[in-house]
Amino acid sequence: MYYDIYLVGVGGQGILTIGEIIAEAALKLDIPANFYPTKGMAQRGGFVKAQLRLGSYNVGPSIAEKGANLVIAMELSESLKALRYFKPDGDFALYSSVWSPTAVMLGKAPYPAVEEVLAEINKTGGRTIHIKPEERPQFEGQPVPENVYVLGAVCRHSSLGRFIDPEEIRATIKTRWKKGIERNLYTFDAGFNLNNQD
Amino acid sequence: MSLKFISGNEAIAYGSLRAGVKVVSGYPGTPSSEVITSLLKNKPEGVYVEWSSNEKVAFEIAAAASWAGQRALCTMKMSGLNVAYDSLASVAYSGCSGALVVYVADDPGVSAGMCEQDSRGFALMSDMPMLEPASVEEAYSLTRFAFELSESTGTPVFIRMVTATALSYGGMDLEDPPVFPEREPKLIKDIAKYTKAGSAICLDQHSDVIERLSEAGEIIRGKKINRLSLSPKAGGLGIIVAGAVFPYLEEGLRLVEEHGFKIGPVSTLKVTATVPFPAEEVRSLIKHCSSLLILEELEPHLEKDLYIEAHKFGFSGKIIGKLDGTLSRIGDYSAEQVVKGIAAAFTLNLPAGIFGDEYKGEKLTASRPITTCAGCPHRGTFLAINKAIKELKFKKDEVVVTGDIGCTILGMNPPFNTVWTEISMGASIGFAQGYYHSGVKTPVIATIGDSTFFHAGIPSLVNAIQHQVPLTLIIMDNGWTSMTGMQVSPGTDEKFQQPGNQRLDLAKILPALGIDHFKMINPYELEESTAAIREAMTLPGVKVILSRQECAIQAMRQGKRYGKSTVIEDNCNKCKLCITVTGCPAISLGEESIVIDPALCYGCGLCSQVCNREAIERGPVKDVL
Repeated sequence: MYYDIYLVGVGGQGILTIGEIIAEAALKLDIPANFYPTKGMAQRGGFVKAQLRLGSYNVGPSIAEKGANLVIAMELSESLKALRYFKPDGDFALYSSVWSPTAVMLGKAPYPAVEEVLAEINKTGGRTIHIKPEERPQFEGQPVPENVYVLGAVCRHSSLGRFIDPEEIRATIKTRWKKGIERNLYTFDAGFNLNNQD
Repeated sequence: MSLKFISGNEAIAYGSLRAGVKVVSGYPGTPSSEVITSLLKNKPEGVYVEWSSNEKVAFEIAAAASWAGQRALCTMKMSGLNVAYDSLASVAYSGCSGALVVYVADDPGVSAGMCEQDSRGFALMSDMPMLEPASVEEAYSLTRFAFELSESTGTPVFIRMVTATALSYGGMDLEDPPVFPEREPKLIKDIAKYTKAGSAICLDQHSDVIERLSEAGEIIRGKKINRLSLSPKAGGLGIIVAGAVFPYLEEGLRLVEEHGFKIGPVSTLKVTATVPFPAEEVRSLIKHCSSLLILEELEPHLEKDLYIEAHKFGFSGKIIGKLDGTLSRIGDYSAEQVVKGIAAAFTLNLPAGIFGDEYKGEKLTASRPITTCAGCPHRGTFLAINKAIKELKFKKDEVVVTGDIGCTILGMNPPFNTVWTEISMGASIGFAQGYYHSGVKTPVIATIGDSTFFHAGIPSLVNAIQHQVPLTLIIMDNGWTSMTGMQVSPGTDEKFQQPGNQRLDLAKILPALGIDHFKMINPYELEESTAAIREAMTLPGVKVILSRQECAIQAMRQGKRYGKSTVIEDNCNKCKLCITVTGCPAISLGEESIVIDPALCYGCGLCSQVCNREAIERGPVKDVL
């Protein structure tokens, strides 16, 4: 069994942490993992991608086009860069947060609308899991961390949960950070129990 | 044994320790930096590790340690190999005593910038064996082999990885490094080996280096480092796969099958030691197979030698690779190239849409040029250069501003559009001189970072001073080698230097060179910085401006803030000037006014100095230098 995950977003969203947590959980279950994060020159707000390949020892770091069983995209515009790597029968998890580049903020450059992006994902024939930033809950007055929230939703609503036991991912989150265990588990569960799909 | 999730770079570090390395040196460069970073973090007793001032220096340190009988490792990215190569070629011809391993990381597909060069060409030119691990596990085991091979043959050995293998992580069982008996250094005086004085010596060394490579080739063949696997029946396709491409072979074959194609028996040759050319194994493959496919990233080095062997043995079948036009010399590989190669070999009609070319959605992606971080001191320097050019009534395209490697190159992007060129470490200063000698009448400005200046800028500045070239050099001193992940440079604050190391202060070094005009500026003070640059542009002779503030990312990691910028909503009319001019990622457009993200803002105050409506209060600033 092979399972390939393509992750995209921008620096500062914690997208690489999602990959690390899944990889760690996989290793604990004796599932081989190869994790290839690409930060390039990206500081906060720059394009970040990562490729996580599960289930084979003999596998190269890069996923072939139309090869990813799961895409996890955390920035609306950048999500489009994952399209060509998305397997037509896969799951495309879109967390549609918007990080406007300066030119867009100034109204000098276009930025795709949510509907446009959803339409492009639809063209691939895969399944869309739309996680809306505006529905992100709060914990003790603060919005919960986006990455753990998205990971929770993906564990429940994508095929990942059939490949890796979500309980193992939850356990990994528990041990990853010394502080804020309660907050992170609340966040994961909030994502996991999310019930709004289009 | 312990299971660890480590990167290819870390595997090189662990493998070196396991092999008893004594001296490790290098210069930071993505994707190679983590070898030394990880060794500095858990450095065992008795192992010397350093970030050197450049790759040539680093290599010389490692080479001399080897000449004194110790085991040494030197690390660099491919651009660094260009710098080190003068000494490296010379040492390759001399040979080594203790093991000498050179780790170089290439970047096919270019995720970190600079030329998409193939460093295998360097191994060919200096007759050095080159090993190319395809996975984390291989990086670990081949590193140990590289040390053995180097010491047993007396030749320095290359380990080459690519971005994907160097930076990707896999789980692996690590053995604890054995305790090596301490070696006493040996002082060997042998001018026939260690000098190049006279043609007799040089010609002998040329003959020796060829012989050493051939001996290394025998050992590589004996140990079956390159794995030949012939199909039970002769005929069929033979696939030669080099280094990092190998793990994609199985996946590619599976994809071909999934698309319903039966291709019959396949023979393979996994080439892990790409230099010397595995002629014997290739010959076996040529004799056995009726067509051949060669999969190697970047340049067709192996493929050219394959054609020679094929010619020698009168092979008449197809050879699929780059030279027949099937595959490209550009970019990195995945299973796609395996599938395309197999399809060409069997003239299969791959169904349309097998890969993602049909998806056009990517074109809608908003462009996201990389820019300086919130609080980056370089922002202030770029703004001041732009302002000085404008105040002296020059148009922007009348004053050439040469650029250099590292974060300082971000001045080429919007909103600054300040910097014109990026060539190699230190080149901004040499290029500025060439522009002047070409007859350019307008002022010439060179920009460079502190670590880059220490690396290769000093000889260029010396040249400018000797020849009295009227240029303005702006050294942006943020105290760190930042873009490669915050390594210590010669100018980094004393408290971050290794114990017993000394910091070199550019403010003391530069005036001692005999510069006509030297000035230090604080890039967070826009008016003062602009005035200093404007003045320098109008003066004769060599002018050097040291623009100094610590990298804001590093300063914030130490809990420092320069100040606090606060929006005065009533005064803000959302003219967006602060965003247009500074491009600071901490500023965004709110409902009533601009908004400054307090978590990101370092309080540099440049936005407040750019605002013409007093809508951003700067607050008191601290001296955090």
